[in-house]
Amino acid sequence: MMTIFSKNNEIKQKKEILRGLYEENLKILGKGGARIYKQRPFFFRKMFLSFCLAIAAVLLHGIFFNTAFFPEKELTASIISQNVPLMSVKAPAEDLLATSDYKAFINNQGVSLSRMFGLGVKTIMIDPGHGGADSGTIGKMGTMEKDVALDIARRLKERLTKTGHYHVLMTREGDVAVPLNKRVSMTQAARADLFISVHLNYLPAKPINIIETYYFGPTSDVKTEKLVEQENAGSEYGLSDFREMIEKIGDTLKLQESREFATAIQKNLFVNSRMHDGAVYDFGIKRAPFVVLLGVEVPAVLAEVSCLSNRQEEKELSTEGHRENIARYLEAGIMDYLNKGDLTHEAKR
Amino acid sequence: MKQKDEQKQGNLFVGIDLGTSRSSISAGNNTREWIESYVGWPKDFIAQQVVGKPVLFGSEALLNRLSLDLCRPLERGIIKAGIEKSDEAVKEIIKYLIGLAKPASDQKICAVVGVPADTLKVNKLAIRSAVSENVNALMVVSEPFAVAYGMNLLNNALVIDIGAGTTDFCIMHGTIPAEEDQKTILTAGDYIDEQLFSYLTEKYPSSKFNKNMVRQFKEQFSFVRDVPEDMQVVIPVNGKPVMHDIKNEIRRACESILPALVETTTEMIARFDPEFQVRIKNNIVLAGGGSLIRGIAEYLQDALKEYGTCKVTAVSDPLFAGSDGALMLAQDMPEKYWEQLN
Repeated sequence: MMTIFSKNNEIKQKKEILRGLYEENLKILGKGGARIYKQRPFFFRKMFLSFCLAIAAVLLHGIFFNTAFFPEKELTASIISQNVPLMSVKAPAEDLLATSDYKAFINNQGVSLSRMFGLGVKTIMIDPGHGGADSGTIGKMGTMEKDVALDIARRLKERLTKTGHYHVLMTREGDVAVPLNKRVSMTQAARADLFISVHLNYLPAKPINIIETYYFGPTSDVKTEKLVEQENAGSEYGLSDFREMIEKIGDTLKLQESREFATAIQKNLFVNSRMHDGAVYDFGIKRAPFVVLLGVEVPAVLAEVSCLSNRQEEKELSTEGHRENIARYLEAGIMDYLNKGDLTHEAKR
Repeated sequence: MKQKDEQKQGNLFVGIDLGTSRSSISAGNNTREWIESYVGWPKDFIAQQVVGKPVLFGSEALLNRLSLDLCRPLERGIIKAGIEKSDEAVKEIIKYLIGLAKPASDQKICAVVGVPADTLKVNKLAIRSAVSENVNALMVVSEPFAVAYGMNLLNNALVIDIGAGTTDFCIMHGTIPAEEDQKTILTAGDYIDEQLFSYLTEKYPSSKFNKNMVRQFKEQFSFVRDVPEDMQVVIPVNGKPVMHDIKNEIRRACESILPALVETTTEMIARFDPEFQVRIKNNIVLAGGGSLIRGIAEYLQDALKEYGTCKVTAVSDPLFAGSDGALMLAQDMPEKYWEQLN
């Protein structure tokens, strides 16, 4: 008797398991609704009907009274472009460097020089960090910074090109080593109006996921100095070049615009990433003397879009969906910067 | 019975274990085959002339690795979708394995594919799209779950699948395991290889090893604690073959995975109600290539003794335990379910 009972129990268990497995696979296929339902008693059907009616009533209420029922649709730049601050971006405390009598005017954050002089953006240069023998940082599961940065850059290029407004170029299209000075000269030769370098961070001491964005400027932070040393390795610049480059530091327009650009990128990256990963940290915008940022003469930022030392993030980065999302956030950041003052832009899925 | 009817209707059921190191297939027509999970494409036109094929698999790919772009698609347990040719390599492996099962030209393939637990969590869609091209209907499951089903360990059991890239833990409690019932750690076979490589390089600095040789040593001798035999191998030193004693290094490397193994096992068991903990502790099964390490089941059993009595066993055929379990799932799956999964 006991044997028959346990046998029946086992068969029932198997059926449940097979059914669970089937439903799980349907979900992956996006056919979640095709599950096989048992006929439910009338009471449950009645409850379900009432629930549906209640939901419909709430939705209609939202339509007629202009209620934002799906706040996540107000994604990225559209939120950020508004005057209500969603988050505080940690900016360096120092004022912008300026040598002229117009210091007060130039440092007025309400005034954008590019907008004042009607300067537009036609060509965007995307710089996927590292490449070739220089793999950049490597995650614990073997994911290399150079591969992920290239993939995100390609996706970003595709998205920006699709808008039909910009000529988009990349400093490397494949897994090849490109010295930093070559990246700068390519940007100058292409007469690019905007430069964004895509990198991934690595924090050996802390298993957290962070996002930070840099623009050119001096730093007193030891950790940032170390990162700069790593990223500047292989620049192939000589000392004679460096003197000329340092003279460019006083380029106020570039500094001001780069800072605005970095703010837009950081906000969009962080706010949107936080929707998927509640534990992501905002390390804000920072100044750092990356030579690739100094060399280019247009607004330029270096975005550390993710963190390979965080195992969960490394896993996520192995999915195309996550990399596409990062490209989407970067696109939203660029659009946010370019549509300064406009409230209409929304990142496209 | 149902399965036999469906075979008559022209379906071939297959179970595939897509592993980091080895992949196997068990088919309803009694075919059982395995390959090493390596795929290689000739680097250029000359390489293609030398190897004579557009794509090579398993040991043949390893033998010709200098002429090939070699890919081990599930290295570290996940597919890097869209980079490093991982998804393309998975497609090739599945196509090749199904070819080995020799289906009739008019047979429809219904496949259950077991993948490392992390792959399932992270790359659900990527794995489906990589595999679905070569089959008519497909289900993807985690490897330890396929092993558990094949061994009828549906309730109160812990399956530990020690693979190459990952060690997967899966607790069975009468339902399909949820994400919190499964855990993956990276201390597995590849980690042992890395440790062994560094120990041997340290002990014999002038000897020439490569990672493939080290893996072969591990597979030939692996053990924990002690075994009576000597372990000596011939390795070239300045071109001359020289005998090396590697017993101590093998033991140290194999034992390097034990702390994480014991810690994760106790952590997984501790998640459950004390009443169930006792039952699970008496039903721990080791699977995967790592279960072939001599003495590992006994070690784990002794290490867990301080938490009460427990019983640890190893599957009898780790190479096919996953694919056999996946085949059993495929055969037990009702026909109406398969129809939706085309």
